[in-house]
Parts: sequence; structure tokens; C-alpha cells
Amino acid sequence: MSAWFDYTVNGFVIGNIYALLAVGLALIYGVANLVNFAHGSVYVVGAYIGWAAITHLGTPLPLTLLCVVVVCALVGVAIERIGLRALQGSSRIAPLLATIGIGLVLDQVVQLVWSPDPRAVPMQVPEWRIAIGGGTIGALDLLIAGIGCSSAAVLYGFLRFTKLGWAVRATAQDSDAAQQMGVDINRVNMAVFAIASVLSGISGLLVGMYYNQINPAMSFEATLKGIVALIIGGLGNVPGAIAGSLILGLTESYGIALFGTSYRNLFAFVLLVAMLLWRPNGLFAPRRAAAPEPMVGTFIARSLPVKLPRWVVPVVLLAAALLPLLNQPYLLQIGANSLMYAMLALSLTLVAGTVGQVSLGHAALLAIGGYASGLLALDAGWPVALAIPAAGLITAGLGTALVWPAFRLTGHYVSIATLGIGEIVSLVILNWTGLTRGAIGLGGIPPLELFGVDLGSVQGTYWLCLVVLVLLALLQLRLLSSHLGRTWRAIRDDSVAARSHGVGEDRYKALAFGYGGFAAGISGAITAHVYSYINHETFGASLSVLALTMVILGGMGNVLGAVLGATLLIALPEAFRALAEYRILIYGVVLLLLIRFRPQGLMGTV
Amino acid sequence: MSALLELQGLNSFYGPVQVHFELSLEVRQGQIVCLLGGNASGKSTTMKSILGLQRPRSGSIRFDGADITGLPTPRIIRRGIGSVPEARRLFPAMTVRENLLMGAYARSDKPGIAADEARVLALFPRLAERLAQRAGTMSGGEQQMLAMARALMGRPKLICMDEPTMGLSPLFVDRVLELIQAINREGVTVFMVEQNASLALAIAHHGYVLQAGRIALQGAAGDLLQDHRIRDAYLGGAATG
Repeated sequence: MSAWFDYTVNGFVIGNIYALLAVGLALIYGVANLVNFAHGSVYVVGAYIGWAAITHLGTPLPLTLLCVVVVCALVGVAIERIGLRALQGSSRIAPLLATIGIGLVLDQVVQLVWSPDPRAVPMQVPEWRIAIGGGTIGALDLLIAGIGCSSAAVLYGFLRFTKLGWAVRATAQDSDAAQQMGVDINRVNMAVFAIASVLSGISGLLVGMYYNQINPAMSFEATLKGIVALIIGGLGNVPGAIAGSLILGLTESYGIALFGTSYRNLFAFVLLVAMLLWRPNGLFAPRRAAAPEPMVGTFIARSLPVKLPRWVVPVVLLAAALLPLLNQPYLLQIGANSLMYAMLALSLTLVAGTVGQVSLGHAALLAIGGYASGLLALDAGWPVALAIPAAGLITAGLGTALVWPAFRLTGHYVSIATLGIGEIVSLVILNWTGLTRGAIGLGGIPPLELFGVDLGSVQGTYWLCLVVLVLLALLQLRLLSSHLGRTWRAIRDDSVAARSHGVGEDRYKALAFGYGGFAAGISGAITAHVYSYINHETFGASLSVLALTMVILGGMGNVLGAVLGATLLIALPEAFRALAEYRILIYGVVLLLLIRFRPQGLMGTV
Repeated sequence: MSALLELQGLNSFYGPVQVHFELSLEVRQGQIVCLLGGNASGKSTTMKSILGLQRPRSGSIRFDGADITGLPTPRIIRRGIGSVPEARRLFPAMTVRENLLMGAYARSDKPGIAADEARVLALFPRLAERLAQRAGTMSGGEQQMLAMARALMGRPKLICMDEPTMGLSPLFVDRVLELIQAINREGVTVFMVEQNASLALAIAHHGYVLQAGRIALQGAAGDLLQDHRIRDAYLGGAATG
């Protein structure tokens, strides 16, 4: 029994840490109708500021906390003022994508300043533990619970008894009406971002002390966990977020007790997807509450596609086909890479741009394709030329089946659900050792070959990718100009109108994800054979974000744009190899600048 | 009597669609002025322009002697304009009292706010019984009263009301109109947008009829009530020009 007591204490402590994250997300969602994907990055900033204050300045705990509070408040203000304010009035997806970009930038800055290596946070509380009923509670547990509870109390007092707190609540309920009472919405937003960031930063510091280790990569998980807790409690519901966090913390802790550590996140994300499907308004809202999407109208920026002179595409294509004749293996390598990414971008531009389902878990399709092809070739002994198209079909089927339950979601919820589904895929790959070899990964995947012709060389890979990409692009263009393409765009632009004209939305979304899964699956399969080794982290969430950046850069829904976006984002950083360590930082900044100044992308949305 | 609010030569657009064509009107100190018109005549846009929620492409809006064209909404409110928005737009999860105090958000004189709270509750005794109730749980008529009371809490010189009788039962319509007159008697100028012309003109001093973004008719409320053209105009105007 004593072990259960300890698991409960642990779950409660983790729940408090999640609550500090989720409350901020709920506040931000309340006033800005925005899920802040940069939230975990502020948490990392908080952790590192705390670490730096302790190790470099030798601050005692209260001063450490003060440093974290001040810096994170400033970061929050900067996020709102510099990153988001200018986006008011632009398409609904713009601020969401901007927070992703801001997150990337913050993570990279932390990495550049403090290196990607893990750091140990010195313990600043006494090491004693008291024994209660067979289990123990440590001083740090009490500190975390104390900070969690007192933050909640301060926040309650702020919202209930201060003028600014009233303005926050009024803005959350009806921001137009709040303005007409004289409330300055910008000030409210800024205050909320500051408060949320402070809570997030404190959470990061406490986590660092609890696990005695911090690293820049923990931001993504923190954002996700905060979002899971937020969804459990209901978007924008502050007390709900606290309850959701405790539920999540306890579920994880008991899950670890029953199944082991590697299942921990699986529990969190299954909980997330289950909530989105059955109780998208959270545990505390009545079931029949309004449809789970406060956002109506166009989610993505609209524009006309850029018209190119007729000769451009054939000439570029010819140049691409002749590239291997230059005999520059390095250049070809980059070319082949760009082409593989372009297939992924094609897939995502259809799903996100044409149908308007902004997927944040697209890399999971690569993983499915890669594993399917690799396993077929390795374990079933299939020839590579057969395994790759089979992997495409498997990905189409499996990918569609996995997102099928999420088809009724829209807007933000699609992004969150696909993010969760993507994480689940990666965790299943990690834990299904019998099939996937788990953490060891898949090694010795045979190289590319086509009916006995070896394509393992750089030239071979390049030509194969080029041919496959051209075929996929032609197919996609054909689909877009057909009845099917029009129906997809109709669903994106006005799903209610589409439905009232007898369009069975789910079927068409399934077709889009099916085709998207096929293209991405092929891309993943080719990648697997080129790399010869893949594991559950090869196709991670950052790849999904990169793919989305490519699609936005090219112009959502635009086939040529997707190819251009992929080529630019893969090839350009290679041209500036000296800047290699700034690569992801550059992606983040590019994403932010695009959203601000050219939301329709280089080639325009279709 | 001087003009408290003066719109001059407004041209407003929604994207490529022009909503106002050289719209001019004035609201004199101490009066009740109503703006009538059918659907899509530009009434609500007029209200949004005054409150700074929609910026006209050209033209000017002057309030209390100063140009307020293009100011952000909170600053316009702070100059002494109270708003009773279309469909009331209360803060549904806040109590009646919290809604009232939100109305005084732009003020910081605590004793004055307390005095105004008492004054407003005397005018709206029904609200006094329900101070701790959540605003979203009240009936439509009560909500309309709360919206009016909330606007009064800012101690405005001018109250702008967008369709104050919309969706109310006939009993409450009469009550709301009486209250508008009572508010006006206390010295607050009222500018209201209405679809129900005869009701609005019955309590107003002056009226304007908006038709496809232009003022088609204007005059003393009594004269307008007698005018046969008013019927055509506010029904949407089959007659052109």
C-alpha cells in the first residue's frame, strides 16, 4: 500500500506542475481564443533562468523565484506585443501558427545560449522526507504543492477582486462588449500573457528541481501536457484546468505504477484524444453545450494563386532532370532530400490547405510509411519496389483510420487532435517491441532498387524521387481541378453550406487524408530505404512543424508552392552551412515573418 | 442647443461594398434622436462607427467638441459615451452587480460609482432584487434593463442604443421605452437605432431615416410620424431615389 501512497503524492505533485501550465493556457484561451503553442518554451526559459540564477549568482530560493517571475513576465509581454498583436484581424490560424513560430525561436535561443545538453538544477530545499502512513512526503513535494495552491489563490483573488481581473473575465466572456465598457483589450491580453508566462516559468523551475534535470527539448512535452490538462477541464475554464491537471497527473502516476515509465505519455495522449472525441468541451461542461469550436469563418488566409509564365514549370523541370549530369554528389543529395520533403509537403498542403484541416501530426504518416516499407522488406522479404507502394497504401489506410474519429472537429481542435494522434503513433512504435523492435529501431533496411536495378546511388535516389514527385504532383493537380477538388474547397470554406448541399463531409475528408497518407507514406518509405536506419524519433513532431512551414511558405493548398517551399527550406540552409546551428531558429523566424507579412505564401493559396 | 454628436460626410466600406454615402447627422444635447431604417440600410454600421468599432474611410465624427474619428473604442467610451449594444451583450457568467460595476470600468471615483449604483438601482428596481444572480440566467427584458443600467453606470453624456426593443415582449417594449425617456429626463442624451419606427418616433425628439446608406428623410419626430413616406422608407423603400 505504501507504494500507492507514494504514487498518489507523485501524481498530485506532477498535477500541480501541470496546473501551473494549464491555468495560463486557459487564461490565454479565454481572452484571446488562442491555444498558445509557445507556452512550453516559456516554461523552459523559466527553468533555465532559475538554473542560471542559482549556479551563476548563487541566489537563494526566493530570489531565484523572483528572477524567474521577472524574466518570464517580460517574455510574456514580448510574445503578446511583438509576436501576436499585429495579427489581430488576420485569418484565424495566423496567431496559432505564430505561437508555434515563437516557440521554435525561444527554444533555439535557449539552446544557443545554454547548449542543448541537460543541466542539473541544484536542490534549494532541505532533503528531509516525513513518513506518513507507510509512504513519505518530501520538502520539495510540499513546496510544489504550496506554490501550486498559493498561485491558484492569488489568481482567484486577482480575477475576483481587482479591476484588471474583472476586465480579464469580461474580455473572456465578450471582448466586444468589454471594449464598449472602456476596457483596453490590448492591455488585458498583455497582462494575461505576462501572468500565464510567469506561472509557466515557475512550473519549469519546479520541474527542474523535481527531476533534478532540465534540457531545452522539454518544451514540447510541456506544451502538450498543458494542452491535455486544458482540454480535460474545458478550453478557457480556469478551475477546470486545475482539475484537469490533477486528473492528468494522477492518471500518469498510476499508469506508470501499472505499466511502466514508457507508457506515461501514451496515457496522456490517449486521454487527450478520448476527451476530444467524447467530451470536447471538457469534463465540466454539459454534454449538449455548443459545438466545440468558437471560431467560425475562414481559418486560413485566402488569396489568388500567383500565375507563372507558361514556360517556367517545364524549364525548371528540365533543369531538375538534368541536375545529375553536373556530377555534384553533394548537390544531388540536397536535391533528393528536398524532393522527399516535397512529397510530404504535397500531402500536407492538400490536407491543411485544400481541405482546411491543419494537421500538426503529419510526421506520423512518414513514420508509418517508413516502418511499413522497412518491415515489409526486412521481415516479409518483399522487394523494395513493391514494399514502397504497399507502404503508401498502408499509410493511406491506417492514417485515415486514425484520424477518422477526429473528422467532426474543426479549427484548433483538429490541430490538437492530430498532434495527439501523431504522438500516439510514435509512442506505439516505441512500445510495440514485438513488431517495431521498440527503442532499438529498425536497422539494415535494404537500399532503394527497382526490379533489380540498384538505385542506392545518389543519382538513382534523386531520379526516383523526381519521378515519384512529378507523378504525385500531376495526380494532385488533376484531383484539384476535378469535382473532388471543388468539394474539398467547399468543405474548407463553409462546411455548413457544403453539408446542406448534400456533401457527405466525412467521406471527402477521408479521401483527402487517404491521398495525403499515400503521398506521405511513399515519402517516409523512400526516406527509410535511403537512411537504412529509422527509430521512433526519426519522424518527430518538429518535422510536422517544418512541413507546415513549407506549406505556408509555398501557399496553402498550392501544389507548386509546396514543392517550392520544401526546396527553399531544405536547400537554402545548406547554402549557408556556416549557419547550421541557427537552422531551426531561421525556420522559426521565417514562419513568423511569413505569417505577418505574406500569410498567403510565396505562390498564393488555392 | 448645440450638437453633442456630429457625423459629417461619412463614407464607410465593408471590403469593396460601400455602406455609407456622405452620411451626415447630428444629435443635440438633451434630446432623444432615433435613426430608422430597414435591414442593410447601414444603421448598425453607423453605431459601430461612432463607437470606434468600424473606421469610416472618410468623413469625421465629432463628440462634445472634439474629433473622435478613428480613436480606439475604450478612449471613445472614456470621453462620455455609453453603449447598449445590439442583442445586449452582457457578461453572462458575471453577476448583475458585477455587470453594473463593469459599466463603471472607465471611472475611478469610488464614491461617485456607489452613488450612481444607488441611483441606477432606483431607476431599475427589478435589478436591485437580483444583484447576485448571473446575468445570463435572466429573461430578455431584464437583460435589456441591465444593459441600459450598465451603460448608465459610466455616467455618460450620450447613450447609444442599438435596437433596444428587439426581441422583447410587448410589455417589456413599453417598459424599455419609458425607461429611455426617464434616462433622458435625467439629462442624458440618447441616440438610438431602431427598426420599429412608430415606437421610436413616439418617444424621440428628432428622427433620421436611413436608406441604402443615405439619409432619406429627417425631421422632428412628430412631423415624421405624420409623413406617409416614412412607411415606404423604413419598409426598405420600394421607391428608388
